[in-house]
Amino acid sequence: MRALSPLLRLLGGRLAQAGLVALLVGSACFLMVRTLPGDMAYRIAASRYGYDLVDTAAARAVHAELGLDRPWYVQLAGWFGDLARLDLGTSLASGEKVLEKLGIELGHTLLLAGVALALSALIGLPLGALAGLRAGSALDRAALVGAAALRAVPSFVLGVGLMILLAAEWNLLPAGGVGEWEEVILPALTLALGLAAASSRVTRDAVAAVVASPFFGFARAKGLGDGLAFRRHGVRNAAIPVVSYLTLQMVLLVEGVVVVEALFAWPGIGHALVHAVLGRDIPVVQGAALVMGLLFVLLNTAADLACWSLDPRRRA
Amino acid sequence: MSLIVEGLSIHGPEGCIVRDVGFTARPGEPMVLLGETGSGKSLVAQAVMGVLPAGLRAEGRILLDGQDLLALSARERRGLWGRRIAMLPQEPWSALDPTMRAFGQVEEVHRLVRGRPAAEAAGAARADLARLGLATAARRYPFELSGGMNQRVALAATHAAGAPVLIADEPTKGLDAAMRDTAAALLLGEAREGRILLVITHDVVLAGYLGGEAVVMLEGQAVESGPLRQLLAAPRHEYTRRLVAADPARWASWPARPVPGGRALVEGRGLHKRLGGRELFGGLTLEVAAGEVLAVSGPSGCGKTTLGNMLLGLARPDAGEVRRRPDLGPLSFQKLYQDPMAAFPPTGTLGQALTELLRRHAIPRAPAEALMRRLRLTEVLLGRRADQVSGGQLQRFGLLRALLLKPALLFADEATSRLDPVTQQEVMDLLREVVAEQGTALLVVTHEEALAAKVAGRVVHLAPQVVGLSPDGVPEAALAL
Repeated sequence: MRALSPLLRLLGGRLAQAGLVALLVGSACFLMVRTLPGDMAYRIAASRYGYDLVDTAAARAVHAELGLDRPWYVQLAGWFGDLARLDLGTSLASGEKVLEKLGIELGHTLLLAGVALALSALIGLPLGALAGLRAGSALDRAALVGAAALRAVPSFVLGVGLMILLAAEWNLLPAGGVGEWEEVILPALTLALGLAAASSRVTRDAVAAVVASPFFGFARAKGLGDGLAFRRHGVRNAAIPVVSYLTLQMVLLVEGVVVVEALFAWPGIGHALVHAVLGRDIPVVQGAALVMGLLFVLLNTAADLACWSLDPRRRA
Repeated sequence: MSLIVEGLSIHGPEGCIVRDVGFTARPGEPMVLLGETGSGKSLVAQAVMGVLPAGLRAEGRILLDGQDLLALSARERRGLWGRRIAMLPQEPWSALDPTMRAFGQVEEVHRLVRGRPAAEAAGAARADLARLGLATAARRYPFELSGGMNQRVALAATHAAGAPVLIADEPTKGLDAAMRDTAAALLLGEAREGRILLVITHDVVLAGYLGGEAVVMLEGQAVESGPLRQLLAAPRHEYTRRLVAADPARWASWPARPVPGGRALVEGRGLHKRLGGRELFGGLTLEVAAGEVLAVSGPSGCGKTTLGNMLLGLARPDAGEVRRRPDLGPLSFQKLYQDPMAAFPPTGTLGQALTELLRRHAIPRAPAEALMRRLRLTEVLLGRRADQVSGGQLQRFGLLRALLLKPALLFADEATSRLDPVTQQEVMDLLREVVAEQGTALLVVTHEEALAAKVAGRVVHLAPQVVGLSPDGVPEAALAL
């Protein structure tokens, strides 16, 4: 029982956070889309019928059909009322159910994010651990320069660079599309390199600190070899700051997903969000932003739980 | 079985640091290296273990059962760790893996170092822990154990691989009297079981408790050696004599100072304070008179520093009141901190710190320089940073800084507990003289009962907190940091 209550507190806190996210994200998206320049009815009509076919009559029809002349707070309250029944409404542009549409897109986004995280772990963690074990060596310094350079390049430049190199020049991977396993690699790699650049440095610092710690020295003095000492006392202790940092990285991931999906025409939530903003498709904007916000809370909760199980001091 | 060190010299980039040290350690009879910080005694231990810092090189012979350790490769020496030579960590609470239960930290040595099967290793680990009175601690993490219990877990892990040689480097650093006695008893137990015990310490009380043989080191050389009891009873070398005399129990009592009377500088009435869920004191009343020397003593974690802070106004009591004499401003109450390094800015010189102080409080330079001379601080030191002077010098700078403000009361919070014994005595002597000259009242907070008894006209003893007491009598919070 003693160990349970901090866990419940943690989960309760995250649950409250999820509620707040829904409230703030929903309202903020609604207000932001309303304050964008241009007539909303025109933009919606344009995304339904195409720019060339829009006239005042079509816009007026849209206006009446969607009840856009109702006061804004009535419209917003309507959205929250539907949300309470787990109904995210229908797309203003296509008339699809937002929940169903986002369900499919979320699947794509999760695949992309999952592969990206796995790739970044494969690249960043071992490289960081090696650099940390040999802190101050040539390898460590080279890894630092590499990481700084990668972090400094925005993901759209990195993505275009990878496309030119791997898809156009060497013809190794497809530059776009969805369905085949090869197609996820290029966008995932774009995301992963940025993530690995940061996580490798955090891993390096964590490993270097653990190796220099008195308890690691004591493990060696007890007679454990370097490999055993690292496996028994190094990995778990170094993992604690790294996992905590991964929580922060989720922001980068969610943010990166929007850019990279747009760049590679990957039909995920980020891609949908960008299109919905352009088409003033408020329910989709709200829905996509909400799903991304909740995803962020969920990933944070997962990282919290990982830290909780790694570090007994948090359970006390 | 024996450990023989012959003509051991240790060279660094700037020359010879340890010169021609030799001794023979035998099973059952503790071998103690006594000396102050910088005497090179820890380097000798590190040379025996094979963990000299990079850039240092040992010469001579270190014979373990006739085998010269210095002739072995680094890899061969690693192979001896735990199995032939074990080293007790200096601060056990930071040497244990914070994320592994006590049991695992002992069990892994039996299983992975000695190569015993899992079931046998688990049984041996349980037996080790039970023998040290830690049966209930096996499932707990280090942060859930008291300092004393962690020390015993570390000891169990240290000798689990069965090394016949045990090295303990400053095993009582930072411990209060009760824990020091526990540590000494444990070490003596190790020797009585037939191990070769090499203890490095500046603590004369610990050395006297252990007995056996001793080598006294000063500036990298052995200045005196022989059976410990004899050496402590009749020291021949001047330095040994000073070291023995520096034990607070042997100090001359401070002369009682005439207390002018009148209103107390500060009085606390019915003070209550809880910290970390424990009641430190419930309804304590005390006062400090002008010109008085008052000591507060008690084991770690009993709240003595908190009490001093409350009298100075640095901490608030939960209930009760503290009244300082109304004609005295806040500057009349000054504090001398336990860790002088933490009380000085890490960048910038001591001279800059002093100049700032003089300007801020409009104190003329001449009396400041006079007080500096009085505290035996030379002008040269003003050009150095806090980390470039010795602990004793830095604490005297702390004293200078506090006394320049002409306080009515100076609160010395374990002010000499991190200093070597001889330095501690020097600083305390100087403190006695200058506060007497300036008529400053002194509040001494210390974990050393002997020191409190020698310096103070009155001693307030704070009892260990019953609520937070662990099974071995060490306050849980003592070393929970």
